[in-house]
Amino acid sequence: MKLDPRTKLFMIFVVSLIVMMSATTPILWAIRLSITLIPILLLIIEKKYAAALRFLLAYGTALVLTFFFLSTESEGIFSSLLIGYCGIVVQFMPALITAWYVVRTTKIGEFMSCMQKMHVPDGIAVSLAVVMRFFPTIKEEYSSINDAMRMRGVMLGGGNVLKMVEFRMIPLLFSCVNIGEELSAAAITRGLGGEVKRSSVVELKLGAADFFLMAFLAAATVLFVVLKYFV
Amino acid sequence: MSIIELKNINFQYKGSKDGSLCNVNLNIDEGQTVLLCGASGSGKTSVIRLINGLIPHYYSGELEGEVSVAGHDIKKTELHELAGTVGTVFQNPRSQFFSVDTDGEIVFGPENIGLDPKEIKTRMNDVVAEMDLDEILGRSIFDLSGGQKQRIACASVAALLPNIILLDEPSSNLDFDSIELLRGIIMEWKRQGKTIVISEHRLWYLKDAVDRVIYMESGKIAKEWSGEEFTSLNEDEVKSYKLRPIVLEEELIRQIRGDYASAVCDVDNAIELKDFFFSYKKKTYLILKKRFKESDGDLLNLNIPELKIPKGKVIGLVGPNGTGKSTFLRCLCGLEDDCKGQIVSDGVTYKGRQRLKLCYMVMQDVNHQLFTDSVKSEVMLSMKEADEKRCDEFLDMLGLSEYKDTHPMALSGGQKQRVAIASALASDAQILLFDEPTSGLDYSHMEKVSELLQQLAASGASVIVSTHDPELISECCDYVLGLKHGKVVYLKANRKQH
Repeated sequence: MKLDPRTKLFMIFVVSLIVMMSATTPILWAIRLSITLIPILLLIIEKKYAAALRFLLAYGTALVLTFFFLSTESEGIFSSLLIGYCGIVVQFMPALITAWYVVRTTKIGEFMSCMQKMHVPDGIAVSLAVVMRFFPTIKEEYSSINDAMRMRGVMLGGGNVLKMVEFRMIPLLFSCVNIGEELSAAAITRGLGGEVKRSSVVELKLGAADFFLMAFLAAATVLFVVLKYFV
Repeated sequence: MSIIELKNINFQYKGSKDGSLCNVNLNIDEGQTVLLCGASGSGKTSVIRLINGLIPHYYSGELEGEVSVAGHDIKKTELHELAGTVGTVFQNPRSQFFSVDTDGEIVFGPENIGLDPKEIKTRMNDVVAEMDLDEILGRSIFDLSGGQKQRIACASVAALLPNIILLDEPSSNLDFDSIELLRGIIMEWKRQGKTIVISEHRLWYLKDAVDRVIYMESGKIAKEWSGEEFTSLNEDEVKSYKLRPIVLEEELIRQIRGDYASAVCDVDNAIELKDFFFSYKKKTYLILKKRFKESDGDLLNLNIPELKIPKGKVIGLVGPNGTGKSTFLRCLCGLEDDCKGQIVSDGVTYKGRQRLKLCYMVMQDVNHQLFTDSVKSEVMLSMKEADEKRCDEFLDMLGLSEYKDTHPMALSGGQKQRVAIASALASDAQILLFDEPTSGLDYSHMEKVSELLQQLAASGASVIVSTHDPELISECCDYVLGLKHGKVVYLKANRKQH
């Protein structure tokens, strides 16, 4: 199934919105959970089973812990750490996984074309596209650096937490800066940054799935806000 | 009529003397193919950057003189205006792609100059047909081999239909067969009448393609040959200019492509490898991973039941891209946990993580493996027991003593590589692995690396070098180990030049 980037952006917006507002009644929780299930379903459709499963496990565990083992009366360092962990997972993971899904399934060309359709200035669109382009690069660089650290036996930075971070970040920053510099030189020589309005080969069309999903997301948002603030 | 004119050029980068130009005058006629050669830092790349306008618009510095390209005064022309006129293929395939997918990359340029989508599609189809790219369309850039990336880079430049095409050390990361394809692309451009300027260390693949050869030395044009004069230079003359050979011996070509009958020679004093099997396609049960076996056959990316590696020798590891050379190195030094191979040295068996202590790999991009804030602490980091005296010895041996307190990232590429080698020495590893140590190096730097490798081997370590560099093999390898589809095809003694 192919979703339009505009639908995907709308989905990121709605998921973040609903997940960030606190759910207080069972019906609000129901809406929130069904919204969270959408990115999981989409991941399964895209055959990213491992990611879907891992997210489902982390999210499910956090939910169960929050509901059955933690309460406002919980005390002690362990339970406060646990509350922190569960809070982060329940509040942020759905938005993160949605964003991850969008980045993984959207081609840069589609994204640029979508930005043009929405009349976003080229400057902003290009910067956002570069950010998207950079995720896999950072991952690649990071894993080479990790290999080098394993080989030199400095994975734990000699027991020093600061060194552990430093050894990873310094080479990573240096190579990202270098790659970024060469990347923009290469892009400029191919005409990026001109006054001409960019064109786009990708033709975007909203399909049935797009309309259905957008309608569902919009309805869920309205329902959530009404039930939370006006009932 | 000259299409490119450089008049009395003096240039110096801000804050660096490297690559500066001194009184350069160069006229290039339309339709000519020109090769720029000379040592690293002699200014080849700076000339390329002058023609595509990156100097002075992107890389700033002091520029005197006049540059005119296809009627544009470069100093007064905005970079994006040159997009349809000058196209550049850069050295590093990793950092010249804007898109993540191949299709998007080819249309990126035409989209930037606002061409009509229909026109862009026709151009794309033309380029794809011309360069035979069908099989790599619709793929992620991150899954391509170096050679495939470079072909996409050429295609994305060609899609803008520039009359002038610049190539800055395009073959650095390519194997023999990919270089042949690159050569084909250059010949096709030449046939179309494009003006081509190539800066390059590897010369053999260009010998029949170029009309003029410009030799640069410390920022000046020191010598010029016509294509024919250049091809007829003899071996000693080429060497006296510190250039890499223009003609490759048949023997070397066969060696680098791994075109030999299978034959594994016997070695007396050796380190034994056993059961090195590995595949990137994981076979999993629900939770536990299945162990790879020889019977997995074609599934395996690496399939070496046993192998004897000579001690105290330099072994060149050859074979085409994607044949498992890097996989072999990674498995050997224990970076791939799923490879359960064992190494037997002096009667002791090393398994799993222990292999990491026995081996040390100097990676292709040394930037990834330098962590500390001074050269000295970098070397000390590798030592099991801190010993300043030994550290100083290593630094002395590698000519790094004067940089003892310098930040490794402030050094040049070659110096960084030597720091990595120094820390390899300090780790007392018995097996030293090098991944493409000379890709993109000029002749004299390659020679230095080759001397170092021989020194390392003389000190008792087994040195395994994965390489596409025929000259490096003939300079320093005692043995050549050929891999094909993850299997050892041959191991044979090599006739060194020295």
